[in-house]
Amino acid sequence: MCVAVPGKVVAVNGIKATVDFKGNLVEAMSGLVSVKLGDYVLVHAGCILQVLSDEDGDMLTELFEEISEL
Amino acid sequence: MKITMAHGSGGKATSDLIKNIFAKHLHNPVLARMEDSAVVKGANIIAMTTDSFVVTPLFFKGGDIGKLAVCGTVNDLAMSGAVPKYLTCGFILEESADTDDIERIVISMAMTAIEAGVIFVAGDTKVIEGKGGIYLNTSGVGFLSGNENISSANCKQGDVVILSGNLGDHHATILSARMNITNSIESDCAPLNEITKKLLENSIRIKFMRDVTRGGLATVLNEFAVSSKCCIMLQEEHIPVLEQVRGFCDILGLDPIYMGNEGKMVSIVAREDAQKALDIIRSCRYGENAAIVGEVISGEENTVLMKTSVGGTRIVPELFGESLPRIC
Amino acid sequence: MIDYKKFLKEYDGRSIKIMEVCGTHTAEIAHNGISGMLSENINLVSGPGCPVCVTVTAYIDKLIELSKNPNNVIATFGDMLRVTGKSQNLNDVRAMGADIQMVYSPMDMLKFAAADKTKTFIFAAVGFETTTPVYALLLEEAIKNGITNIKLLTSLKTMPAVIDWVCAKKGGIDGFLAPGHVSVITGSQIFNEISEKHNIPFAVSGFNGEQILAALCALVKSCGKPNVINLYPSVVTEEGNQKAQKLVEKYFSHCDAAWRGMSVIKNSGMMLKDEYLNFDAGSVELITDQVHNPKCRCAHILIGSLKPYECPLFGKECTPQSQQGACMVSTEGSCYNYYINKR
Repeated sequence: MCVAVPGKVVAVNGIKATVDFKGNLVEAMSGLVSVKLGDYVLVHAGCILQVLSDEDGDMLTELFEEISEL
Repeated sequence: MKITMAHGSGGKATSDLIKNIFAKHLHNPVLARMEDSAVVKGANIIAMTTDSFVVTPLFFKGGDIGKLAVCGTVNDLAMSGAVPKYLTCGFILEESADTDDIERIVISMAMTAIEAGVIFVAGDTKVIEGKGGIYLNTSGVGFLSGNENISSANCKQGDVVILSGNLGDHHATILSARMNITNSIESDCAPLNEITKKLLENSIRIKFMRDVTRGGLATVLNEFAVSSKCCIMLQEEHIPVLEQVRGFCDILGLDPIYMGNEGKMVSIVAREDAQKALDIIRSCRYGENAAIVGEVISGEENTVLMKTSVGGTRIVPELFGESLPRIC
Repeated sequence: MIDYKKFLKEYDGRSIKIMEVCGTHTAEIAHNGISGMLSENINLVSGPGCPVCVTVTAYIDKLIELSKNPNNVIATFGDMLRVTGKSQNLNDVRAMGADIQMVYSPMDMLKFAAADKTKTFIFAAVGFETTTPVYALLLEEAIKNGITNIKLLTSLKTMPAVIDWVCAKKGGIDGFLAPGHVSVITGSQIFNEISEKHNIPFAVSGFNGEQILAALCALVKSCGKPNVINLYPSVVTEEGNQKAQKLVEKYFSHCDAAWRGMSVIKNSGMMLKDEYLNFDAGSVELITDQVHNPKCRCAHILIGSLKPYECPLFGKECTPQSQQGACMVSTEGSCYNYYINKR
């Protein structure tokens, strides 16, 4: 129920951050999580929900090791 | 200067407006005669069309309402295989519309008309109460030789679907402005009659040609599927979309195949002519990113399907309602 | 590495029913054509996971009533515009002159409200746990900046109670594709109790086609066993975003909630706390005041025990232009899809 996409923080201005999504710049609120320049973040309805712990953290190869063991 | 009711009354204010803006920039021998109707050379068979333009904002990256009006009308004629020749334009101006804006729009129309090889042969102006809005209505005439033979009834299995370029640019431009998203996406507003002319001159067997406007590629292809009773299979991975437009769609939950364009066309051609047609389109201005995006297959009639990038197949219905940003 | 596409296509074990409870998952499953990539023995069912779609008619009618006051401006997400109330939707009243603004973010309200203090800006605040923190942040900023002309009409829902309700219906669900973005906020731990209680596995999944297929593979392999598998570790942790959770707890409390076509489910919603009711536009009365057509079969369709055409309202009183239950509102709902695609 939640259209949300990852983007890169290219500017921080108090509780707002400018996030870049493949060349689209959106101003998002960062009141729900601390962010810094260069972070990859998940943005939903103009708010940053989380900082990605690892840009490629969902690499299928790693996930599948987990699934194979089920 | 601001438009007032006087500008629509038919008196001096009206004739000054016509002289200083419309006639000045759209000048040609026919219009210069300023007669009640334009008397022009014709053809045995003509194509005619009409359209109205109410877009806001009036000016956007890559175009404006005037350019949109010329391209939209020219493209409707071109898609029937006609050579666009004559356009008319009616302006409906709300009180307090700015004459600088009107002049800017008319200059844009003049330049686009020159590029498309058409002339404005008649026009009209009306002024109504309001808050400065500007609306256009056009009509267009194009010439046909009678040998064009573009018919979806000729469609058969194996025919190829060619898209002339990237999807979604215009829709993304207008929506970006409204939703305060900053990017460098521009409207793709463009006349496509050079492409259609070259395809016909080179005897490409065309079953269907349509510009991909409101409702997007999905809606246009559904119209074809129904009129030809065919089944189309699209290949998601082959559909060209600018990376920036993809990012824009991701943010708002939009699908490029349902977004409006103002300078793209889809053509369905005989398989044997596909590569030649693709090369021709790619050699034209506005066709550099053309791609083969699907084909007519044997399958359920009146249906458009798509092979997705992950390997599944989905049904692609026509657009229902509006293509709006989603939260959900 | 396991060939998950082959595994799913060739699965020949007992018949399994998997439910996704996130409207965005439903949309992506359809968008990627995933149903057709699965064996006949794996059935996907779309659950009640779209907060827009489960909004009751009384909520829309309340928004319409509020929009008739010339001092009110209604701001909303795009997908709310075509949801019908008893007879109209927001698009209809906008055409009749009501001031309805479509926005990408509720935070835009702060700008609007500061720019025009003569108007009251009311946001159609729908959402699951992913979106509720956004509204909490909006209030936090409004209070900080002394902005008082903002209100919320809330229809906020939560996941655990409705999933429990689905399981209690005994519709034979064998696994849940757990909502990835809800889990970002709540943490994957919110599914632990239900998983244990009903012996059903949950797979927290991302939203691209490959991630969804991976999650389905994990669920098929885990059938019959309680398990909560996090396959979206880049943004989902077990505890979730605790700062966001605390902010939500500050402004909102749990309550019963009405779900379109499904009646009232205990403890499945959130409401502004008493001390913040000055920001409420009349949400309180919407809990019990809902027009529910007793012939609507959404509850059965949502758990896959009835097909759309088996509902007496389908195609008659209930069409995409005049939706009764959630299954017709959602562009990925079973009834909407059946109506549009005749399948």
